[in-house]
Amino acid sequence: MNAFFTTIVMGFRHYFRDRSTVFWGVLFPLILMGLIGLAFGRSDSLTFSVGFIDLGGGILAEGLRRGLNEVPVFRVVEETDPPQALEALRKGRRTLVVVVPVSAGEPVRVYFDQARPQDSRTALVILERFIAQANLRLSGAKETVRIQATGLQGQRQLRFFDFLLPGILAMTVMQTGLMGVTWVVAEYRQRLILKRILATPIHPLVFLGGLVGRYTVTNFVQMAIIVAVAIAAFNARIVGNPATVIGLLMFGTLVFVGIGFAISTVSKTPESANLLGSAIHFPMMFLSGTLWPREFMPDFMQPVIALLPLTPLVDAMRAVAARGDALGPHLPGLAYLGAWGIGAFALAAWRFRWE
Amino acid sequence: MDQVIVDIQNLVKRYGAITAVDHVSFQVNRGEIFGILGPNGAGKTTTLEMIEGLRVPDGGTAVVDGIDVRRDPRGVRSLIGVQLQEAGFFDRLTVEETLQLFGSYQRKMLPPSEVIDRMQLQDKRRAWVMNLSGGQRQRLSIAVALINDPRIIFLDEPTTGLDPQARRNLWDVIERFREEGRTVVLTTHYMEEAQRLCDRVAIMDHGRMVALNTPRALIRTHAPSTTVALTVLEGELAYASLPGVRNAEVSNGEVVLATSDPMQTVHALMESSRTGKIGFNQLRVEEATLEDVFLHLTGRRLRE
Repeated sequence: MNAFFTTIVMGFRHYFRDRSTVFWGVLFPLILMGLIGLAFGRSDSLTFSVGFIDLGGGILAEGLRRGLNEVPVFRVVEETDPPQALEALRKGRRTLVVVVPVSAGEPVRVYFDQARPQDSRTALVILERFIAQANLRLSGAKETVRIQATGLQGQRQLRFFDFLLPGILAMTVMQTGLMGVTWVVAEYRQRLILKRILATPIHPLVFLGGLVGRYTVTNFVQMAIIVAVAIAAFNARIVGNPATVIGLLMFGTLVFVGIGFAISTVSKTPESANLLGSAIHFPMMFLSGTLWPREFMPDFMQPVIALLPLTPLVDAMRAVAARGDALGPHLPGLAYLGAWGIGAFALAAWRFRWE
Repeated sequence: MDQVIVDIQNLVKRYGAITAVDHVSFQVNRGEIFGILGPNGAGKTTTLEMIEGLRVPDGGTAVVDGIDVRRDPRGVRSLIGVQLQEAGFFDRLTVEETLQLFGSYQRKMLPPSEVIDRMQLQDKRRAWVMNLSGGQRQRLSIAVALINDPRIIFLDEPTTGLDPQARRNLWDVIERFREEGRTVVLTTHYMEEAQRLCDRVAIMDHGRMVALNTPRALIRTHAPSTTVALTVLEGELAYASLPGVRNAEVSNGEVVLATSDPMQTVHALMESSRTGKIGFNQLRVEEATLEDVFLHLTGRRLRE
C-alpha cells in the first residue's frame, strides 16, 4: 500500500511542478469557458426546440409543420403525448410546445416556460410572425389560424453557464485521459523509467494502479478549481446531487484514463501517442456536446455522435448537474461508457510492455 | 553460509540470428568485487540483466543467493541493488523524493538521508533530478541501488562517461561496499577499473566468456611478458638473445623488449652498459595489463 500511495503523492507533485500541464489542465478549460460564455452567454440557447403535437391532422397541421421547419432557429420535434411534451418543456428540453387542435376551429395552443422569459418571448414572436404571414397567405379562406399562448411554470431557469459547466467538466475528464495519460507509458518506456521500476520487487499492477490513482487525484483537484472559479466568476450552479455528480466524474475519469493507457501502450513513441490522443480528443470535444448542445450538429452526424464514448457522459452530467434529473434514464449510456473502459484496460493490459 | 552467492550456468540469450550471450557460466563469491570486462556489444549488460530478472534467458539458469531468478524474479530483486546503465528517473522529483519513491517499492528501506550522505549528494537533496550533472545522476542511480540495503549490488558500467576525478571517487565508494561485506558485480570496458577494483574478472567477447580469474593470474597466464623499453644512445647488442627476452623491436634507437624474466633482462642490460657495450637512458619496465590479456585472447583491443 505504501508503494501505491507514494506513487500517487510523488506523481501528484511531479505533475503540478510542470507548468504546461497546469495550463492545459486548469487554465485552458477556464479560458474556454470564459470565451464560450462571452460568445453565447447572453442568450439562453441558440436554437429553440419546438415540440409539435398534431392532434387533428389535416392541411392546417401540415402547413404549420412545413412552415415551422422552415424557420432556421426552430428545431421541430414531433410528439404525440401532450403531458410528456409539457414535462419536457418544464425540464427545459423544449422552448415551445405547439399543439394543433382536433378541429380546425379551435386555436392552436402554444405553451412556453415562464421561467425563461427571454427565450420564450423570442420564440413566441417568431412564431406569431410566422402565423401572421400564414394568415396573410390564407386570406380569402374561411378560417384563419389563431394561437393561444399558455405559460407554464418550468422547473427552474437553466442559465448558460449552468449548461456549460457540466460539459466543461466532462471535457476535463476526457482531456486528462486523452492528453494527460497518453504520453505517460510510452514516455516512461522510452526514457527507461519503466525498466528502472521493473528492477525493483514491486508488482507492476501496484505501480500502474498508482498511476491511475494519481491521474484521478490530479483530475479531481483540477475540477475542484474549475468548479470554484466557475461558481465565483461565472455564477454557474450545480443543482444536482453532488454525490451523483462526483460519482459520474469518478467513473468517467477511470474510463478515460483507461482509454489513455490503451493508447499509450499501443504507441511506440510518446509523440505518436499524443497525436493519436489529440486526434480522438478534438472531434469529441466539439461533437459530443461539451460546449454547445449536440443537437447543433447536422442530423447525419447524430448516429456517429451517439457512438462517441464522451456523449453519454456529457448527457448524464448535464442532466444530473444542470437539471437535477435522476440518473436512471442515463444508465444504458453509462453502461456503454463502462464497456469502453473495460475494453481499454483489457487492451492496455494485453499490449503493455516494459521496454 | 554458502560461499557462492551468484551461480549462473550456461546462460543463453538470442536476438534473432544473433546470439548475444552464448552459454556463459560463472560463480560469484560472497563479499568479492566481480568484474565483467569486455568491449561494447560483448554481452555484458545482457548477462547482468538476465541475472537481475529483467530479461528472460533462452537457456541456462541464474541462481542468486539460493533463489532461481526465473522462478522468483521479484524475490531476487528484493535482495539485490540494481544500477542500470541507462535509467530514467522523474525529472521533477528531488533526489530525496526519488529515493523515497523507489524505497517504497522495496521490501526493506534505508533512511534516504543515510544513502544521500553515503553518495555525497547532501547539497543536492532538494534539487530536481533534471538539474543534476552527469556525475550526480550516476551517484543518484547508485543511491537508488543502495536504498534497500542489498547484499549484492549490480553496477552496469558505473563510471562510463565520468571524468577521471569522479571515477576515482566512485571507485572508493565501490571499495567501501566490499568492506561492508556486500558483494559487487560490475561490468566495465575500462581495463584500469577492472584491474584496480575487481577481485576476479570475467572477460567477455562476442557473447562468450573467454577467461575468468584474478587480474594477476590472468596477466600471468595470458600476457606473461613484461615490457622493457630503453632509448639506446650508442652501441649495439643482440637484444633477442638476452636472458628472458622473447621478442625485440628496434627502431630509431628505441628498443622495446618483451621478456618473461624482467629481472634477468634488466640485469643483462645494466651489465652491458657497465662494460661499455651500449649506452642508453630512459629504461622503463612496464607490467602487462588486462588490455594485453584481451589483445592476446581476442587479437583486438578493448576499445576499437
